[in-house]
Amino acid sequence: MQCDEAHDLLGAYRDKELSPEERRAVARHLEGCRTCSTALADDERIARSLRQLGRSPAPPHLAARIIAGIERSGSTSLASIGSQSKPRTRARDLGSMARYVASLAAACVLSMLATWWLMTGSRQDADIERDVASAHIRSLIQDAQIQVASSDQHTVRPWFAGRADFSPDVKDLSPAGFSLIGGRLDYVADRRVVATVYTRRQHVISVFMWPSSTAVKAIMAPHLTMRNGYNVLGWSRDGTAYWAVSDLNAEELRVMQRLL
Amino acid sequence: MTDRPRFEQLALVHMDAAHNLALWLLRERADAEDAVQDAYLRAYRAFHQLEGAEIKPWLLTIVRNVCYRRLQERRRSANVISLDEALSTRPGSLGDGAMISAQRSPEQAAASSSEQAMLSAAMAELPPVFREVIVLREIEELSYREIADVIGAPVGTVMSRLSRARAELRTLLTKSMGRDDSNAM
Repeated sequence: MQCDEAHDLLGAYRDKELSPEERRAVARHLEGCRTCSTALADDERIARSLRQLGRSPAPPHLAARIIAGIERSGSTSLASIGSQSKPRTRARDLGSMARYVASLAAACVLSMLATWWLMTGSRQDADIERDVASAHIRSLIQDAQIQVASSDQHTVRPWFAGRADFSPDVKDLSPAGFSLIGGRLDYVADRRVVATVYTRRQHVISVFMWPSSTAVKAIMAPHLTMRNGYNVLGWSRDGTAYWAVSDLNAEELRVMQRLL
Repeated sequence: MTDRPRFEQLALVHMDAAHNLALWLLRERADAEDAVQDAYLRAYRAFHQLEGAEIKPWLLTIVRNVCYRRLQERRRSANVISLDEALSTRPGSLGDGAMISAQRSPEQAAASSSEQAMLSAAMAELPPVFREVIVLREIEELSYREIADVIGAPVGTVMSRLSRARAELRTLLTKSMGRDDSNAM
């Protein structure tokens, strides 16, 4: 393979988007060509920096703006249908005006309640998010992700018995590309929790588990946030709270959430 | 209308990806936010057309189209350039790099080397068609097929455009690092 041709295929080679034959040809060329292998290393380094640079996250108010926009679009289309209807009498207009004012008041009260509920709920969640993200990062800094190293869920699960106050459901997700590497105990949200650790490609994923307080939010829908460049996904099911933390992208983390 | 909770559940998780793409294309925060809101509204109205397809590339396609329309409008009214815009599109300006890292924690800011600032600046110098494929590939980790869907071009074009974009980025970075070395001496 000529240098020019190989050079054009370097990116696709790195992205694993080449056919097996092309791939082999590029690999052969790289062994003998310094220019191309240097370019490949440079690209690798740039890609890593880009990933570290990461996304510029959406500001917190944007979700509310979007939802409000959708809501507004719904009501304007209803209003335009209303304006096309036949002319009405004054009395009926007054009646509908009263209904309109009443519904407006009801909407105000509801939105205040919803805001209060969301604020109190999200404040607790924010504390937990900070805790789990910190625990994950701490484990990476201290290179202490696991206390029991095993890819076998039948080894990891019994290890927790007697160490944690509940028996976690440790799942083997290797068919889906998430390799179990072990587990550890951690301390999150003022309690001792179980953490199982998986890897996918070069990304480490900590999954924290503990019995959720059954009174509140027995089933919590998956909720994703970003903390210090790490994705934090929390949900609860069957009386267990789950929090997954990783630098893995959000979509793959959600795939994992569905499997757990 | 009954699809609304489902739409919000599926679409809002990609808001960071949508915002990031919009910001890289438009280079102005307020504009990027407007674009994302606009795109989400369009996506919601067209939600029934999704039919089980992967939502993220579909959503990013809409975001991209909205952004390009805005870029076009901007070009049309280019005879009235705001000071902000003039500063943000000045080639080689590091202002953009600072803007991108503004939301990062102090730890990250300290850790992010001058290399990242240079990278942001180099990205800003790329034309949008190059910038978008880099963002979709390196940050969003989309496949070539998905990128092709987003930018509405064949997979072959994605491959060549990515290749040219990376070569361009490499050249720009080598140049700026060279400048740095000469400054150090």
